[in-house]
Amino acid sequence: MKRIAICAAATALALTFSACSSSSDTIKDADGNEVAKELTIYTAMSEDELPTYFGGFEKATGIKVNYVRLSAGEMVTRIEGEKENPQATLAYAGASDAYIQMAAEGLLSKYASPELANIPDQYKDPDGYWNPIYVGAISFACNKDWFDKHTDVAIPQSWDDLTNPGLKGMVGMAHPSTAGTSYTVLATIMQLKGGKNIDDADTWAYLKKLNENVPQYSKAGSAPAQDAAMGEAAVGITFAHDALKIKAKGYPLEVTFPNDGTGDELGAVALLNNPNASEADIAAGKKFIDYMLSKEGQELYIDSASYRVPVNTQAKVADGLVTLDQLKIIDYDAKWAAQTKKELVAKFQEIVDNGQNVKTS
Amino acid sequence: MTATALPAADPPKLKMKQGNNLAMLIRQPVLLVTILLVFAVLFIFVVLPMITVFQLSFTTEEGGFSIQPLIDILTSDKGGYPSYRATFWNSMLLGVIVAICATAVGYLFAFATTRTEMRGKRFFDLVATLPIISPPFVLSLSIIFLFGKQGMITNGMFGIDDFEVKGLGGLVLVQSLSFFPVAYLTLRGILESIDDSVEDAAFSMGASRGHIFRTVTLPLSLPGIISAVLLVFIQSLEDFSNPAVIGGGYSTLAVEAYRVITGMNDTITGGMLAIILLLPTVAAYLFQKYWLRKKSFVTVSGKPTQVRRKLHEKHIVYPLFAACAIVTALVFMFYGTVLFGAFVKVWGINYEFTLEHFAYVFTLGADALLNSVELAAISAPIGGVLGMVIAYLTVRQRFPGRKLMAISSMLTFAIPGIVASIGFMYTFNHQPLLLQGTAIILVAMFTFRNIPVAIESGTTTLLSIDPCIEEASTISGADTGYTFRRVILPMRRNAFFSGLVYSFVRAMTAVSAIIFLISPKWSLATSKVFALFESSKFSEAAAFVMVLIVIIFIAIGVIQTIVNILLKPKAKAPEAAEIKLALSEGEK
Repeated sequence: MKRIAICAAATALALTFSACSSSSDTIKDADGNEVAKELTIYTAMSEDELPTYFGGFEKATGIKVNYVRLSAGEMVTRIEGEKENPQATLAYAGASDAYIQMAAEGLLSKYASPELANIPDQYKDPDGYWNPIYVGAISFACNKDWFDKHTDVAIPQSWDDLTNPGLKGMVGMAHPSTAGTSYTVLATIMQLKGGKNIDDADTWAYLKKLNENVPQYSKAGSAPAQDAAMGEAAVGITFAHDALKIKAKGYPLEVTFPNDGTGDELGAVALLNNPNASEADIAAGKKFIDYMLSKEGQELYIDSASYRVPVNTQAKVADGLVTLDQLKIIDYDAKWAAQTKKELVAKFQEIVDNGQNVKTS
Repeated sequence: MTATALPAADPPKLKMKQGNNLAMLIRQPVLLVTILLVFAVLFIFVVLPMITVFQLSFTTEEGGFSIQPLIDILTSDKGGYPSYRATFWNSMLLGVIVAICATAVGYLFAFATTRTEMRGKRFFDLVATLPIISPPFVLSLSIIFLFGKQGMITNGMFGIDDFEVKGLGGLVLVQSLSFFPVAYLTLRGILESIDDSVEDAAFSMGASRGHIFRTVTLPLSLPGIISAVLLVFIQSLEDFSNPAVIGGGYSTLAVEAYRVITGMNDTITGGMLAIILLLPTVAAYLFQKYWLRKKSFVTVSGKPTQVRRKLHEKHIVYPLFAACAIVTALVFMFYGTVLFGAFVKVWGINYEFTLEHFAYVFTLGADALLNSVELAAISAPIGGVLGMVIAYLTVRQRFPGRKLMAISSMLTFAIPGIVASIGFMYTFNHQPLLLQGTAIILVAMFTFRNIPVAIESGTTTLLSIDPCIEEASTISGADTGYTFRRVILPMRRNAFFSGLVYSFVRAMTAVSAIIFLISPKWSLATSKVFALFESSKFSEAAAFVMVLIVIIFIAIGVIQTIVNILLKPKAKAPEAAEIKLALSEGEK
């Protein structure tokens, strides 16, 4: 009997946890509209930057953000799995190709923020589902200590410099199938060298040559920059903001950009297609998007020391940050990249990263 | 002649026919209800999510049924890296090597702490529980800092700057270190319960210590060894974090499953890989059951035994001590690196002393820490008791579907965390089982993912306890429930303790199994550590891990105390004074 009583008590306890999970309280905003007091978000933003952004938002609007932090791929899988009964109002951060994919699957709901007026057209979603929040260019994170020791190898300034035989086994790159970052790299090279022709022989020849310098394709997009910071690699191919953030901690990194052209990532935010969300929830979600796109929200990238480049032309930029107009940026076609992903990755595995090229390590 | 060749003392219940079993069940309503309840929870939390995974894997994008993806995986050389077949054999090879290494080390520690009079046994006991109590990728990070291209040992001490730590070698080392405690916990229970008198008998007949070990102790601990090998093998197969960080070019199934699910958004192939992963696991499990069933390992028979001296000869104890010390040094080196990293400004760069990372943990990480402790504290006793109940039911009772119960209880343990996570997410996201976003779904995941260790350690000790002891209890008029509570549980106190500790620890350190289940309200410590790790905040992650380790050590102490108080054998010989009192009362 005692055992049954304990079980019953445990169940009761568990039920009380679940019972107090939903609070549908609302507050009035400046215009007198009802907005939810709390907002639930799935985000692929770096965990350490979140308090700055969510704190700023709460201060400006009084709305508290509850969040789950996942990688971009996990976020899409989760939103897809929960589509019958969505648990969040908003998806925040992660590259636009994830959002293009979610929009195609009907997981997003349209919203065009009035703040888009201050954002260049090239960053906007033509279909109006998602809104851009930052851009970042692909860069080379170079370990200065390594290059000081190996003076015969020059710090890479172009894509072709990466195939220098002196860098054998020392170039860090993530696998395009696991890391959104690395897929952007692959899609950039494909657009830059092959002009979107995924059968272009020269481009594949280049990738095979590059492959000789890459000891293995890591799983996480954050790994190449970490490897370069810790000396596991001499060069890591990564987004500039990821590399600069690590450099700011004191790791011996020098960040360079390929002078023959580089691709960029566009971070995005979007409302989820959530029938469970109330009017007030959606109003709070829209407020969040507007805030993150506003001058005030965009300048938080300075406070968070994130080195992300704001998309709002009114926003100030952190001192010393390389903005995109200083670089040779290719006209990165995110839609093409999202649509070609399956095919391109399959080809990458077939031609470059196949069984014959496995290195014994 | 070895001890295992003793004629198996078949419990009388074995000989009964199926019909009689049912009749027996009906006469014991408590037992019947328990069996039905266990079946019900196993169905909801193990079988249903598994069916979901199968459905996802065999359903085409148009909604039809197809086994084409399975054929593609098994036959194609493309699509995977290097190919799914090669990946499968990679996983198998790694699993076998790690299972052997970890079990050997675990046996060494278990033998030294239970059957010898070696010094520092308490200490080594603590050391052997240390490695399971941290999120696994932390060890992988240590190994890079110690043995990587810029590693403190490889480069710092020996000046080698091209040492490749990523790959099979590094993985074997890290996984063996991470999983040998599982083997230790399983083996300690069984080695402790081997009755000394069996060894004594051999010794007084003139057998040497080595001979006794080979022909008595080792064969008697076989069920434990096989359980340990099985558990470690499965854990190695489904481990995601270690191969993801230091696997390098050595791909494994669990990582591939994660890769295709989150990278390519391909739940079909991901689920399929998980199903493929189930095959060797279930096969190993069946082999173990079949093989063990034929032998008897009974040494605890309820007949009086004496306390005697354990192994104390110098030529045995010293080498054992040295071997344990070497492993301990290795463990300390790895954790020392983490401890060191937690107190410096920037791990690897700025070695200035600081406490700021701990301030970070106790402010921004406090909620997640409390959640983790709370959920682990709820799921551990549920898992511990349920594990003992299932072990008892499957070993001692006879009822239809017994084997089904045994196998299904293993399933959630055997699939990669990410796939278990997907199964739970899809199954419990609609009515009437809408649990997504609640604490219940996390508790259920922890309970059913960790329960096999409780079951295994329970089963192995049960096999060594003579059923006569329970029969004595039943004959004296106790029902099954009373016998279980008052006889079985106290006798298996150590196994119960192992199960509890393991459940608690795994709940505190789970990574990939909770990816899709955590909610804003229920964020957990490990997901914070993983996020910190991803944003290269190694020192903050290390501080977090240190706090986790301290919490877990305290929890182990608490669990030990509770188990000792609750399960202290109640019956003891009446003291002289009590007898006198009883007599005098009788006279009145």
